[in-house]
Amino acid sequence: MSEPQAEVTTDYEPRIVAILCKWCSSAGSDLAGVSRIQYPANATPITVPCTGSVSPMYIMSAFKKGADGVLVSGCHIGDCHYIEGNFLARRKIHLVKELLGFIGVEPDRFRMSWVSAAEGAKYSQVIKDFVDDLKPLGPQLKLKADRS
Amino acid sequence: MINLQDIRDTARDLLAKNEVRAVIGYRRGSSGMLAEPVTITKPEQADELVWDPTCFHNLSRNLVEDRKALTRARQNPDLPIAIIAKGCDARSTAVLLQEHYFERKDVYIIGVSCEGTGVVDERKLAAKGIQATDSAFDGDDFVFTTAQGEQRIPAREVMADRCLECREPFPKEHNTALGENKTGRELEAPFTALKRFEEQDAATRWKFWEHQFDRCIRCYACRSVCPMCYCEECVVDSIRFPVSGQTSAEEKGNRIRWIERSAVHSENITYHMTRVLHLAGRCIDCNECERVCPVNIPLRLLNNKMEREAREQFGYEPGASIGGPSLTASFLDKDPGSFIR
Repeated sequence: MSEPQAEVTTDYEPRIVAILCKWCSSAGSDLAGVSRIQYPANATPITVPCTGSVSPMYIMSAFKKGADGVLVSGCHIGDCHYIEGNFLARRKIHLVKELLGFIGVEPDRFRMSWVSAAEGAKYSQVIKDFVDDLKPLGPQLKLKADRS
Repeated sequence: MINLQDIRDTARDLLAKNEVRAVIGYRRGSSGMLAEPVTITKPEQADELVWDPTCFHNLSRNLVEDRKALTRARQNPDLPIAIIAKGCDARSTAVLLQEHYFERKDVYIIGVSCEGTGVVDERKLAAKGIQATDSAFDGDDFVFTTAQGEQRIPAREVMADRCLECREPFPKEHNTALGENKTGRELEAPFTALKRFEEQDAATRWKFWEHQFDRCIRCYACRSVCPMCYCEECVVDSIRFPVSGQTSAEEKGNRIRWIERSAVHSENITYHMTRVLHLAGRCIDCNECERVCPVNIPLRLLNNKMEREAREQFGYEPGASIGGPSLTASFLDKDPGSFIR
């Protein structure tokens, strides 16, 4: 395997897969849109019913297909439409995060946030921060499948 | 000190009194000194059973196989099956019970305490250049029979790492138990190997794991030997995709395959990551996966990492409670959440 080369160019745009819960974060991203809040277009949103339904497979799969960063975002604790989905997600995601860090993947590549349907501004901020943190890291090649 | 005769007598009694339909234990294997798992069904076979430092197999895997065979044969016998269980085997049986893989009345656990020692690590033994034909426990030592005569080695020098760090050498869940309860004997602090590894920086860790995962040949020995990997269809295989005459090539090509079966870098990582996460809160550190790995990938480090997270962050101990909730199906208000923005 070749060394992951961290070629940081100014025009490098990280690709983010944003896994958003249907009830809060997805609506939050909608609000950011209809409120005309400017934020980077790096995130590809994927709506899921609940963060509790996010299997670690989704995250590994996104990285494998070349995502530079993965964001999982859902309702604030206590606001889950399914009462306890985000509590369960918090545990699972903690384990995934620890494991990725353990094998030496940059911890900044994977992120979780709580964004409610009323927090369009927060959503744009989360994406902005994520892009800013990902840019210095360069392309993610560690977990990416070699399709050549 | 465990008396082999006690184990044989217990097994013979159970079979003779028709209390169990079979006993899963160890017998002398065909490859030198190593023991191998055996299922005996007749009282007179009890004399085949052995108990020595090479009884490292986790026999709860055989319970899983037994249950699968019964399901295929559409049988549901009244009598339980007995298993000879060390501390770790009893823990994994407890996890299987917790997950309702079988019921408590279906299994009779003959607990055997590991007392002052554990089981031998073949690799450590080979590194010492010992070629033994037989082995035995003796207090805190292992006694090996070699061509040069008897060789006595302090158990600590050739014991498996997980036994050194074992917190529960006595089978807590049991119907009958043999040997002394020496829980708390920890010869080394738990997670010693893990701590040593984690002291390295991220770049070194990645280099290490990249190398290890690239060596994986995807033989799935780790999966085959694991008592927790009992799924009828593993996520890697996806063999049950319904294919009929009308299924187009495009449909076949576009079906979801989370992990490819080819032994390439990215797929190997995804496979091992997935396995570790599926075992989080279920792995009881029997370390069979690492033992059977033909290319010696240190899988124990990964499983230990999850075990420690579960213990330190969520106060969860796999196999500790049969009636309790599982790690990822439960939560606490005080679960860590500071990493969430």
